[in-house]
Amino acid sequence: MMHRPSLALRVAVLCYVGALVALPLGFVFQQALSHGLSAFVTALSNAEMDSALWLTVRVAVVAVPLNVIFGLGVSLWILRRPSRVSRVFDTLIDLPLAVSPIIVGLSLELAYAQNGWLGRPLAAWGLHVMFTYWAIVVASVFVSLPLVSRQVIPLLRSVGTHQEQTAQTLGAGPVRIFLTVTLRSITWAAAYGVTLTIARIIGEYGAVLIVSGNIGLRTETLTLNISNNFGNFTPYQGFVGVSLLSLVSILVLLVLGLARHRERLRHGYRP
Amino acid sequence: MGIVLKNITKHFGSDLVLDEVSDEIPSGSMTALLGPSGSGKSTLLRIIAGLESLDHGTVELHGRDVTTAEARHRQIGFCFQDYAPFNQMTVFDNVAYGLKVRRIVAARRKKEVDELLGLVRLSDFGDRYPRQLSGGQRQRMALARALAIKPEVLLLDEPFAALDAQVSGELRVWVRSLQRELGITTILVTHNQSEAMEVADRIVILHEGRIEQVGPPDQVYDKPASDFVHGFLGPLTTWQETAYRPHDLQLCDVDAGPRARVTDVIRLGFEVRVVVESESETTWVQLTHHEARQLDPVIGSWISVRPR
Repeated sequence: MMHRPSLALRVAVLCYVGALVALPLGFVFQQALSHGLSAFVTALSNAEMDSALWLTVRVAVVAVPLNVIFGLGVSLWILRRPSRVSRVFDTLIDLPLAVSPIIVGLSLELAYAQNGWLGRPLAAWGLHVMFTYWAIVVASVFVSLPLVSRQVIPLLRSVGTHQEQTAQTLGAGPVRIFLTVTLRSITWAAAYGVTLTIARIIGEYGAVLIVSGNIGLRTETLTLNISNNFGNFTPYQGFVGVSLLSLVSILVLLVLGLARHRERLRHGYRP
Repeated sequence: MGIVLKNITKHFGSDLVLDEVSDEIPSGSMTALLGPSGSGKSTLLRIIAGLESLDHGTVELHGRDVTTAEARHRQIGFCFQDYAPFNQMTVFDNVAYGLKVRRIVAARRKKEVDELLGLVRLSDFGDRYPRQLSGGQRQRMALARALAIKPEVLLLDEPFAALDAQVSGELRVWVRSLQRELGITTILVTHNQSEAMEVADRIVILHEGRIEQVGPPDQVYDKPASDFVHGFLGPLTTWQETAYRPHDLQLCDVDAGPRARVTDVIRLGFEVRVVVESESETTWVQLTHHEARQLDPVIGSWISVRPR
């Protein structure tokens, strides 16, 4: 049994989190609702913001699955088929988290620009990446690349290979083993990785700012829209955008928390 | 013949783990692969299962050459030391796994799983999850799961090592009788010589990747083929420059043979160890409880030591 933290400790934690997170966030919602609920609803249906929200959703819908597939694949590669190459990769995979998004954006621009070493051949095929939807997808995938695998690898390592090998002796093929044994034992780590990925992708600003071109109604994501509103002296619209973004994040966390809680009740243990 | 192994050789990097290992394991027998850690016994078991590749040699299961067959096509039951339960599945689903893979229809699957759960005395635990079971129950679940596919061969890797002494003792007796009842060719890997002697009807002693001796428990114990086997199968002590099992020595009156002084008496209940010291050496003699009561060795007294 863990001791309950002392009153002083609890107060200290609440004050710390309050001052850094809860109060500033509360202030945003207060601003967003300062003209009343109907003004808030009207602001929500602002054409530019809706376009930005929709773009962000479209980016996430493509970038998140890409990162999940990549993350699971890389995790299995590093742990189940270890080699010198995979070990080097294991170290390099954190790079996207270690460098500033501004560097990500600039290096992508250099690579994918009309005369860049990736942009030029693509342009020859008639494909233009920079300042389009796809540039935003690429930047989003880049900045959130290791988030799934970083959650999955430690768990996969501790689960070991005996369950998979047992399934093998029972006659199961690799696909079945992956779906019924491997995936089921890492579900929660993967789900948490997905949550972090979603949050990172819908919240990304720096890299997306550079590669998207920030073109209103076309390549303006929700975070860019918020920033543009504050820059264009329409802060109320900006606050509505911020509160919308916050609500999405809170919702994502809530869904994960609830699913986890249900799983815990079903299994009678902490997943 | 149940399992035929021919010239099995395996390197890990530059380490030779198995060196031309050959053996013929009779159908329906219970064979123990016995050896210290690093002797290659677990690797050999994994090679028979198809979970490990081999450099050269062949594996035959009931006349079928499976050397290049994948584990999933070998029709073997394999139990890991940690039982490797599928933690996200109920006990029932664990046991049903192999039947599902084989597309056995649900009604028959349920009937077979229920029978197996009865066989391993887990009938009331079908709805539980593995982590709600004790170690012994988990092991029985793993056994039922392996038996579900009606394997030709059952391979057990250190099956009792993770259990406490009492549960391990009960399970040994139970596994032995289950194996006899089913008549399934079984190989058990262990580093524990008393476990091997108790459970197996045939012991293969491995040392540094080579087979040292093969035979029934009595034979390997009484007629060890090498010094290694002699020392590995039970405690040894030396008296007058000859190695003896401590229970093969006896204590006699002081004039009856070479003299020694009793320096310690350790009472373990069913046996009593008497440590004795002569001018040139120290040895110990194992007496039964009954013998010890008759002789009543006293620390400091003089006796003589002779082989029985």
